[in-house]
Amino acid sequence: MSRPVFFSGLLLLAFGLGLFATKAFYYELPLTPSVAPGPWQVELRIHIRGDGRRGSVRALLPSSGPGQTIFDERSSSGRLSFSIRDQDEHRLGVWTGFLEDIQEIVYQFRVQSQRAETVIPPAGEVEALRTTLVRRYTRPTPGLPASAPDVAELLDQLDLPGPGDTSGRLRTIFSFVAHEVERVSSAGDDALLTLAQREGSAEGKERLLITLLRAAGLPARVVRGLELREGVAPEARLWGEVNVHGVWVQVSAVQGFLGERPADLVELGRGEQARVEATGVRAVGHRYVAIREPLRPDEIASMLAPDNPILAKLSLYRLPVGSQAALRVLLLLPLGALLVAVFRNLIGIPTYGTFMTVLIALALRQFPLALGLFLVGLVIGVAVVARAGLERLRLLMVPRLSILLCLVVLVVTGFALAGEDYKLPDLFAGSVFPIVILTMLVERIYITSSEEGLREALIQGAWSVGVAAMVHPLLRSENATYLMFSFPELVVAIMGALIWVGGYTGYRVSELFRFRTLLDDEPTGGGRV
Amino acid sequence: MWSRFTKMGLVGINRRNADFTLRMNERSRYPLVDNKLATKQMCIREGIPVPQLLAIAELHVEARRLPDRLRGYDSFVLKPARGAMGNGILVVRTDPDGGYLRGGRPFAREDLIYHTAGIISGLYALAGHRDAALVEERLETHLLLRSLSPDGVPDVRIIIYRGIPVMAMIRLPTAQSGGRANLHQGAIGAGIDITRGRTTHAVLRNRRVFRHPDTDESVLDVAIPEFGRVLEIAVRATDPTGLGYVGADVVVDAVRGPVLLELNARPGLAIQVANRAGLMPRLAAVDERFGPVDGPWPGTLPVEERVAIGQDIAKEAMA
Repeated sequence: MSRPVFFSGLLLLAFGLGLFATKAFYYELPLTPSVAPGPWQVELRIHIRGDGRRGSVRALLPSSGPGQTIFDERSSSGRLSFSIRDQDEHRLGVWTGFLEDIQEIVYQFRVQSQRAETVIPPAGEVEALRTTLVRRYTRPTPGLPASAPDVAELLDQLDLPGPGDTSGRLRTIFSFVAHEVERVSSAGDDALLTLAQREGSAEGKERLLITLLRAAGLPARVVRGLELREGVAPEARLWGEVNVHGVWVQVSAVQGFLGERPADLVELGRGEQARVEATGVRAVGHRYVAIREPLRPDEIASMLAPDNPILAKLSLYRLPVGSQAALRVLLLLPLGALLVAVFRNLIGIPTYGTFMTVLIALALRQFPLALGLFLVGLVIGVAVVARAGLERLRLLMVPRLSILLCLVVLVVTGFALAGEDYKLPDLFAGSVFPIVILTMLVERIYITSSEEGLREALIQGAWSVGVAAMVHPLLRSENATYLMFSFPELVVAIMGALIWVGGYTGYRVSELFRFRTLLDDEPTGGGRV
Repeated sequence: MWSRFTKMGLVGINRRNADFTLRMNERSRYPLVDNKLATKQMCIREGIPVPQLLAIAELHVEARRLPDRLRGYDSFVLKPARGAMGNGILVVRTDPDGGYLRGGRPFAREDLIYHTAGIISGLYALAGHRDAALVEERLETHLLLRSLSPDGVPDVRIIIYRGIPVMAMIRLPTAQSGGRANLHQGAIGAGIDITRGRTTHAVLRNRRVFRHPDTDESVLDVAIPEFGRVLEIAVRATDPTGLGYVGADVVVDAVRGPVLLELNARPGLAIQVANRAGLMPRLAAVDERFGPVDGPWPGTLPVEERVAIGQDIAKEAMA
């Protein structure tokens, strides 16, 4: 390594690591994620197209309660005024003002959610329910047609226990909807239709459950919320809440819980109030974005605003949630690139392309390793078999590769279908990125096997997948993600390390094997027979 | 192990890239050696013997016309102009009825067209760009080497550093290598003492060998025919490229004598294993004689003088 290389590498390493150390030790920012399932940061983005008149936008805002703690609420909405209305069933955020052309409202909150458990109280311990409450929550409504003849007929057939046994009635109805009614995502949201066809959408099933409970005299209402899962956009969910002896118990026929709401559901509000609605606008749309943060609320605060104005300005935690999610992945890439440089230039492993291995690992990031490898193996297998067949037809190259692309699309489609049946993680999760990478991989394998033979292609393919498998855990690692996102100056340090790797002119590990034959009976000079 | 390699002066890939190809070979000069057609034209201008060009196909239409244009030749070699590592090269003979034979087996006319189309589409080209298919005369193994390579034509690889030939080996095809002179495909690499033009050591798939596995003939102490001329045309072909670190491949044809096959701007390192010697002492000796790289190049000296300098350096290194 020459002196300029050594010193420029050292400079970058010292700068990156120095800043990192200052943040970590002087300002005491946490080095590792401290809580295993940390809080979620959720962002609601509402887009409105107004026509210059006064109007208003209303959205359900979550509140703290059993199973969820809401903190760090913020809203940015330009010139619109923002107020919060606490109503008996929910909290409503209201933005009012002149709605001109296109406007965006952003509302953010953080939520720490746990499994919320409600014990169903035994009968007799509590006083009878107030009649106003019973009247209000057993009443038929357009969305919950509790007085329909079909509903009454079904309750007759169900052979419910007597009115004294509230929890028995609840369980019978719950088990009917949970087990006898099919969930079909294409079916309707209507309770009666769901009952008639014995199949409905998730919302249809929940509405049927609530309707039946109301018809059976149990006060019940709709709960609206979000399902937050790693790597997937938040999904709007609806479930129910039933009052048993004065206690509201949450219930869902789709998620299959009675009293114990799982931690990935966050409640936004109760009743039929829409999640987002607007008046005086031409169009309104909204979407939720969420990321999980492996830190305690007080640590998030210190990350967001360290005791130094410059560091506070540089904190990535200030960014919109969508950018944060993208940057969390993006900032892992330098780490992957460093690994690739080490594998190729110091160890000397032959792999496809320069960054192909990182891209493969990135494409498989959302899968567990075994499943990801299976998918890659499947695609490679198809490519190899198809090559053998296609070679006989003597087609021109671009159409030949295009046929291979079609096959990859078919395999992936089949995989998505199988995933639906076997509950595999969503293959797309909002992007076609894995497909692009797999197609590139297949093209490389095809060309290499034409050029250098199948053996060589498979060896290189195996090494590439092997290196990808080693990079993969890193890209999935919470610690690595957290570290790179919280301390992006580490990228500078990685550049320093890369300068050192690039200036290394010694032997690669693979060359020790390659040249080892020179060590035996050496030196003999002539070497005559 | 590490220190013994260093003591032998073995050059690893990292060092070759950083200190030699990257420093000595200007990127803009690569096309001249990466494209065999350009190399050939350059050699013809310089009066350096090259295999005779029989036909070029740059368009798919031309691929289809190729069999007609090749009528009358009893053998030929089809190769991509921009191929690497011997990929995509096809040696074809014609049988008396006008059919093709490849490696002794019949080879359909359509297969020839298909293979040519693959070459044109860039299947074998570096980076997959469009390419041209070249058809050249098939060279014949020199009589004196015939017993050593019954399956294909051997070639001599010479490393030329700053215009000085420093190391050489002969690559002998085997049945295992499918008649190709590529070491990683199973050809024998035999190091050549460039002062005497005789082979000294040999390796096959990274293991020492003494005899050819197909013929059982000794591969050591074999004299390379017209070796002085081999070195001369390797050096002369390298001069106009302006590249400082080149591998030149020369075939000694039975009729025409030494013929330049191709040049390589990123020559491999296996030549060190074949010679059981590192390149470093010889490269350093060249730098010592001619001063730092940025200084004047020895390229202005007469070719014979430079060959003699290379032989001197090799002699010192082997002593």
